Amino acid sequence: MSTPALFPVAGGLGEAIAVTTADAPWGRVREQLLGHGTALVHGTLGDWRPQDDDSEQLRALLGRDWPRYRDLAHTEMRGRYVASRRLLKYAAGAVLRARPEDLELGYGPTGRPYLRGCDQIDISLSHTEDLLLVGLTTRGLIGVDAERADRGIYSKGLGKHICTPKELMDLAALPEPERNPSLVRLWTLKEAYSKAIGQGMQFRFTEFGFGPDGKPAQVQRPDGTPGAGDEWSFGTFGLHSARSAYCVSAAVYDSGLGRTLDTEITTMLDNEATDAITQALNSATDEATGHAGDRECRP
Amino acid sequence: MQQPVRIRDLAGFLGVLREETGLDLTEELAHADLADVPAWDSVHLLRLIMAMEEETGTGIPVAAVLEARTMADIHALVVHGGAVQ
Repeated sequence: MSTPALFPVAGGLGEAIAVTTADAPWGRVREQLLGHGTALVHGTLGDWRPQDDDSEQLRALLGRDWPRYRDLAHTEMRGRYVASRRLLKYAAGAVLRARPEDLELGYGPTGRPYLRGCDQIDISLSHTEDLLLVGLTTRGLIGVDAERADRGIYSKGLGKHICTPKELMDLAALPEPERNPSLVRLWTLKEAYSKAIGQGMQFRFTEFGFGPDGKPAQVQRPDGTPGAGDEWSFGTFGLHSARSAYCVSAAVYDSGLGRTLDTEITTMLDNEATDAITQALNSATDEATGHAGDRECRP
Repeated sequence: MQQPVRIRDLAGFLGVLREETGLDLTEELAHADLADVPAWDSVHLLRLIMAMEEETGTGIPVAAVLEARTMADIHALVVHGGAVQ
């Protein structure tokens, strides 16, 4: 299943790809990552929650997340935690051509997840209700966020805590039926951006904006002037999953190093470094055994 | 100015939050890390801030609330942190 982009997308974020445990088009995910440098995949909580929540296989998959998972007291939280990590590790494993259980997640100071030892891929995770969303990029940084498309935010007056003065003006100028969807869009864009930069809610949402729908999203200062350059790409999609409609946004920072064309985990080893390490190890071994000079350098 | 009666204790505070968010918030969950509260997210956190501003009639220390780890901590901020005179 694929979903069309609702808004013009700068940087070509591509489409969000539905993946299930029974039918996961990982080849398409790899193609998207290769072609766009970014891939978005989504699944459902019900599908990715394991049937056995205490198996050795699950423990191996979660790795260092296992103690945290076991400490969660509530069934719903445990299910969401494990389902999201399963989808994330399977998606990352698919593009890295690694076994999911061989990948470990790390968390930054604000809880931002990353793949330990795999800095060729950045990841982001979002879940709301039954929707699980994973973003992967080889361009630099990524943040993703999903929200139910009809979540009532505008009528509750939350806009003053979310929007810049210009955004509030733009929203008020819209026909009434468009205000809440537009605010949901802004909310998910801001969440995605703050997750990409690892700030979370500590980044005051009233101090940066995105402008109205219908134009490529760009970070703006509170007065509407550009706040960042072309290094950031943003996209917003409509997504239907588990009979609900969601608004999904992604924020991607391009570090300027280009897309990584081959993300296979073994080819990320630097050949020169590998040769140097191999030489040093061989030399040490040969000195110990008295066979210096007998061996080739390459593994 | 006296503390608003409704949120003076944790139970009352949670009652207001239940009304605002529709979530089944217990006193046990009030002491749990917010990341571990089922269905809790940043939109609910903003609703909490707004609800407390309405209850207290004054501003809430938003930065401190954003850094709080539990609802009980937030309650303490609202009641004892200067928002309530």
